[in-house]
Amino acid sequence: MTGVSEPTPEPAPGNGADGPPRLQRRRLLGYAGVASAGAVVGGVAGAGIARASTPVPVAPQPAVIRQDYSPHETHQAGITTPVPAVTRLLAFTLTELAVEPLTKLLKLWSGDIQALMAGRPIPGDPTPDLARTGVSLTITVGLGPRVFSLAPLRSKRPDGFVEIPAMAHDRLQERWCGGDLVVIVAADDATTVDYAARRLARDAATFARPGWVQDGSWRGTDASGEPVTGRNLFGQLDGSGNPSGDLLAQTVWAADPQPWFAGGTTLVVRRIQMDLDFWDRTTAERQEKVIGRRLDTGAPLTGTVETDALDLAAVGESGAPVIPLDAHARRSHPDENSARRMLRRGLNYTSTEVVDGRPVTTAGLVFLAFCADLAEQFVPVQQRLDANDALNDWTTAIGSAVFALPGGFAKDDWIARALFD
Amino acid sequence: MRRVLTVLGTVIVLAMAGCEATPSPLASSDGPRLSVEGPWVRTTTGARDATMTAAFLTIVNPGDADVRLVGADCADAAMVQVHEMVMADDKMVMQEAKDGLFVPAGSHLHLTPGGPHIMLMQLRTGFAVGDQVALTLRFSDGSTLAVTAPVKEFVEEEDHYHSPSPTPSPSS
Repeated sequence: MTGVSEPTPEPAPGNGADGPPRLQRRRLLGYAGVASAGAVVGGVAGAGIARASTPVPVAPQPAVIRQDYSPHETHQAGITTPVPAVTRLLAFTLTELAVEPLTKLLKLWSGDIQALMAGRPIPGDPTPDLARTGVSLTITVGLGPRVFSLAPLRSKRPDGFVEIPAMAHDRLQERWCGGDLVVIVAADDATTVDYAARRLARDAATFARPGWVQDGSWRGTDASGEPVTGRNLFGQLDGSGNPSGDLLAQTVWAADPQPWFAGGTTLVVRRIQMDLDFWDRTTAERQEKVIGRRLDTGAPLTGTVETDALDLAAVGESGAPVIPLDAHARRSHPDENSARRMLRRGLNYTSTEVVDGRPVTTAGLVFLAFCADLAEQFVPVQQRLDANDALNDWTTAIGSAVFALPGGFAKDDWIARALFD
Repeated sequence: MRRVLTVLGTVIVLAMAGCEATPSPLASSDGPRLSVEGPWVRTTTGARDATMTAAFLTIVNPGDADVRLVGADCADAAMVQVHEMVMADDKMVMQEAKDGLFVPAGSHLHLTPGGPHIMLMQLRTGFAVGDQVALTLRFSDGSTLAVTAPVKEFVEEEDHYHSPSPTPSPSS
């Protein structure tokens, strides 16, 4: 589940060029702190940081908890911003597939998002006291494929925004698939997510039927609250080698988009069920070979720390590759995928349902991959993993959905307005 | 906004505690402008009386002079009144605020369900959730503010908002 691996440790920065003041200040202090600690960042540590051709290896990770984010930046928040503890994804199906109800809903949501992310109650909020600042709340909106079947919007479909073709290992369940709209609500705590998600769902009720809802958790901090790569329920560090800096921008943001999609990205949501019982019975040595990384540190089997590059050519005494040919980290590595990458954002889930009168618990990962072009990035990499990936014995995709995520919106504007110009 | 309001509130408290009529540091010759936060209009869908509804919002007055909200105009309503809450027979009821609603200098006024509001009557159209209603607020200093308010769902008992039959008087 470590997905596409790429050995740059620098994490995703804020969600746009004009970060909220608090975040910008934090970043500035972060870099200053590095400089005063004696690290050689020199001239790179100024305004040119975002344009540096090579990632700054010592840049601090942005803080995870107690943040405030803005929806009014180049990109929506909740994509490259750190993964907080709690996330809920809500899919909706438009009751009437038409432009007018869609625009009305997007306007309502935009007002809600602006208020909620500022820590204010939404207009007409029946539970205003639940609103709060400093809870790292992000609300991210995406449009599903059916929206682009509307006559006036057919020519506006983003490049590479395709449905994911069927994979041999998929066992997709309709109830976890599709959606005309998605809202991704993430925050430090579940109460904030419950509150914001309910307000957004209530405002959608006039225009859309609720579809699937996926809840996930993440532990993106260490014991002292410092940012770290989180672990999935297999116990693996998940997210090692995510792209950063310029590489992140190239990987995620639509290149040369239509004006309405400036600052946009495309998202695939895969619900990946994990066979935890089988995994528990698997020896640690086998587990590490399946992934190609150590379980404790996340270091490649050819390295010593998480951020070491994979040495895909290294062979052991027996002559066999140290990172096996079917290891997940090898099969998904950009070096073996024509440099194809994606930004992965994982969420752990455990779900208990009553089946034939008995509780049945399943678990897995809500896997989010953000790509500039799904057809060119996610699809071929996933097809390669479907053909051969040791991890396939333990994992099964049971849900799949794709969404186009427009850029942020100005304060007096609403999300995706230019789509309807 | 909440933080800003808190800061403003603090300024006022300090000024009062000092008992000095010191000029507000926020004041300028032009004076900071009035603004509106979080406007919305209650839907008429499902209302017992769909010919009337109410608009709610927060008016922020960062200036150093008190102003009053004296009226509002709405092309979709034949009659618009500014309403306030008063006690009558041990019950809070709504009535037209003949002198308008006070927005203190350096502070704000909340128009909320159960509190003061802008009553839109003799509606020319129904308001469905997601519609946008254009309003123009009129103030005692002669200034006006154009506001676009989204229509939102019912969130409280309808009766809660309605005054005992407001005296009709055509708006503007």
